[in-house]
Amino acid sequence: MLARSAESLYWIGRYLERAAHLARLMRQQTESLVDSPVRDIYFGWHRIYGALGRQPHPGPLDTEADEQYTLADSFTLADDLTFEPTTPDSIRNCFAQARENARQVRHRISAQMWTSLNRPYLRLRDIEIQNIWASTPEQFYAAVEADIDTFRGVSSSTMYRDQGWHFIRMGSLLERAELVASLLSAQIAAVRLFDVPADAYWTSLLRLLHAFEAYQQGDGLEVDPNRVLELIVSNPQLPDSLSMSVLGLHRELSAIGQGPDRTATSQARTQADHLSDLLRSAWPGTADPEGLFAEFRDAIRRLHDLVTETYFDYPVMARPPRLGQFDQ
Amino acid sequence: MIGTGAHAGFDGMKFHDYDLDAGIYDELFLNDGTPRPHGRDLYETLLEAPDEYMNAVGEWVTRSFTHEGITFTVYGDDEADERIIPIDCIPRVMGGSEWRGLARGLEQRLAALNAFLRDIYGPARIVTDGVIPPDMIFGCPQYRVEMRGFEAPRGIWVAVCGTDLVRTVDGFRVLEDNLRVPSGVSYMIAIRKATKSAMRRLYRRSRVGAVENYGLVLRQTLREMAPEGCDDPTLALITPGVYNSAFYEHMFLARQIGAELVEGRDLVVEDGYVYMRTTTGLRRVDVIYRRIDDDFLDPLVFRPDSLLGAPGLLHAARLGNVSVVNAPGTGVADDKSVYAFVPDMIRYYLAEEPIIPNVDTYLCRRPEDLEYTLDNLEHLVVKRVGESGGYGMLVGPHADAEERNRFASLLREDPAGFVAQPTLALSRAPCLIDGRLEPRHVDLRPFILSGSETRIVPGAFCRIALRKGSLVVNSSQGGGAKDFWVLEEAE
Repeated sequence: MLARSAESLYWIGRYLERAAHLARLMRQQTESLVDSPVRDIYFGWHRIYGALGRQPHPGPLDTEADEQYTLADSFTLADDLTFEPTTPDSIRNCFAQARENARQVRHRISAQMWTSLNRPYLRLRDIEIQNIWASTPEQFYAAVEADIDTFRGVSSSTMYRDQGWHFIRMGSLLERAELVASLLSAQIAAVRLFDVPADAYWTSLLRLLHAFEAYQQGDGLEVDPNRVLELIVSNPQLPDSLSMSVLGLHRELSAIGQGPDRTATSQARTQADHLSDLLRSAWPGTADPEGLFAEFRDAIRRLHDLVTETYFDYPVMARPPRLGQFDQ
Repeated sequence: MIGTGAHAGFDGMKFHDYDLDAGIYDELFLNDGTPRPHGRDLYETLLEAPDEYMNAVGEWVTRSFTHEGITFTVYGDDEADERIIPIDCIPRVMGGSEWRGLARGLEQRLAALNAFLRDIYGPARIVTDGVIPPDMIFGCPQYRVEMRGFEAPRGIWVAVCGTDLVRTVDGFRVLEDNLRVPSGVSYMIAIRKATKSAMRRLYRRSRVGAVENYGLVLRQTLREMAPEGCDDPTLALITPGVYNSAFYEHMFLARQIGAELVEGRDLVVEDGYVYMRTTTGLRRVDVIYRRIDDDFLDPLVFRPDSLLGAPGLLHAARLGNVSVVNAPGTGVADDKSVYAFVPDMIRYYLAEEPIIPNVDTYLCRRPEDLEYTLDNLEHLVVKRVGESGGYGMLVGPHADAEERNRFASLLREDPAGFVAQPTLALSRAPCLIDGRLEPRHVDLRPFILSGSETRIVPGAFCRIALRKGSLVVNSSQGGGAKDFWVLEEAE
């Protein structure tokens, strides 16, 4: 497959995963606007921005404010994360990027995949925060999640399982692993900052990562932060767990196979092994989970670089003819 | 009522404002207001179709084109805008025997044009024999001196041709040959799909020539163009990229013909061979269907600032290691002044009379033609040589005095830069305009493919000038498009 096409497919996977993640965070956050105490709402904003690793455009976040400002702040922050043109990872920008990449490789994906991506893109393009804020913003975010789920389902049932499929999957898994690790760091930091008994905050994390039911199936309803983290890091059956993502990355790398250069390919595979090692050896009983998540994120970013160098942007020595060689 | 006289066939509101003009050929109706024999079924279908249905269908087609992203890009002042071509879902119909006559004419023309290109980049006998003045060819900016002595695979310089035809009351004429990177064929297929659904019952009972296999035919043609000894060629379609106005078509065709869709940056030329960068390393490319202009193909030969092409591509083509389709340099044969000589080429190379005539053309480089043009600006269409897409054009009868004066001074400054043609009364076909059927001017672009044999799918990209009375069909200037059906007559 053309290297550039593979790269576009990989980025479709990454951008849609990013959009899905943010939509899920935003749905939960807008739901909390209905009934949660002001403090919890600010906790939510801190966790979201912490997970994204940046400050809001409109200015630094408070930890608490008057009730009357909370909704106004939330409106501004939701706009920042959803529609703001200068926020590179706003939901709308993620869709635009995914769609732009898909446009480059429309001949490589199924027609249904294109349509299921283009349709929500067109809808997102034409609305603004006022339109969703006027009614029920959480329904809007739920619809965005549903659109991405539809795309995933359509992909799964219509796309030919060639390398392209595996590059989409790899992009998606790599992005997910990075986002979840960032979210876990942000969770720990926000809990520390707010310094309150934080059961509700851990429960909402479980819900965010589709882990609430799995947690309940374990050792009952009592919320223990360590057990929550353990589940999200190591449970091999939970789709959002780090270990499931890493397992998936191994699988996709092996399905994609050798790149042009054997050494580069094996470096990428070794890096995936390193991720597994972090979860298997360094994680159990670590005294510094935040440090470990940071290391995990760096390792993920390194894997991204290696994948890029191995399959997309490998060096080629071209020897074009010299000028004048055409004269007869 | 239709035209000037009442006719029994035109009761009902559908054709209330449909006027016929004896000076303009109508594709559906005879002058007396009765439908042409091959159009009777269509006419009855239109009469019977409820208004609501017709309108709903129009909206549905627009929506499905938007969702499927069947778009072209228009560059405005600030940003690129993805638009869809307005589609009219009433097909233009033609009888099979008339079509076959046209197809013969198109085939004849392309054979002559290929002979011409072989000749002028080789011995140039047509010049030494005095049929065409040398400066018309060698002075033409589209003549690529770098291609002299080049031998195109199978001697075919133009494997993919899109010829613009117009019809007047005197019959069909060729308006323009598009020999570089003719576009529109993806719309032909997309519009067929939409029209088929919109007119399902009519389509079912009519025997309409199929166009859906165009991709296979193109694929076959490109495979036949492969370098000698290459039995299972790897095809690539080179595009300027996603921002090109015809990108949808490039993507569509790449998928149809099983080619990789490449940009210049994906190609590497090494030791006279062309390779593309894949996830497993470099892979050799044998046939390149190029959808970028000569200028940008190879920065070592043409424009050195081009980032769209691949350095060394032409060298590889010259060595016969890769086939570039259409060959670079074909633009000289569709130049607006050289156009005037195509009938002579047909006589010269094939010793035949042209089956489809040209439009009379005044070459303003000739003093007597310039004088005639200046004297008759209000009746003529003046076109700038080397422009396309309906730009740089004066439609005399529709222009005001100021516009005509501006063109008159342009003409005096650079007479060789212009040709003039009589303003043709292009034929009209019924279109659905705001819920009513009205006639609009149309043209026709069939696609001719030439490999080891010449093949033409029975269909065409049929453009419409949607503005009432307008003769400009270009999609960048308010044109639309409709399907074109070639109907096989019952035995």
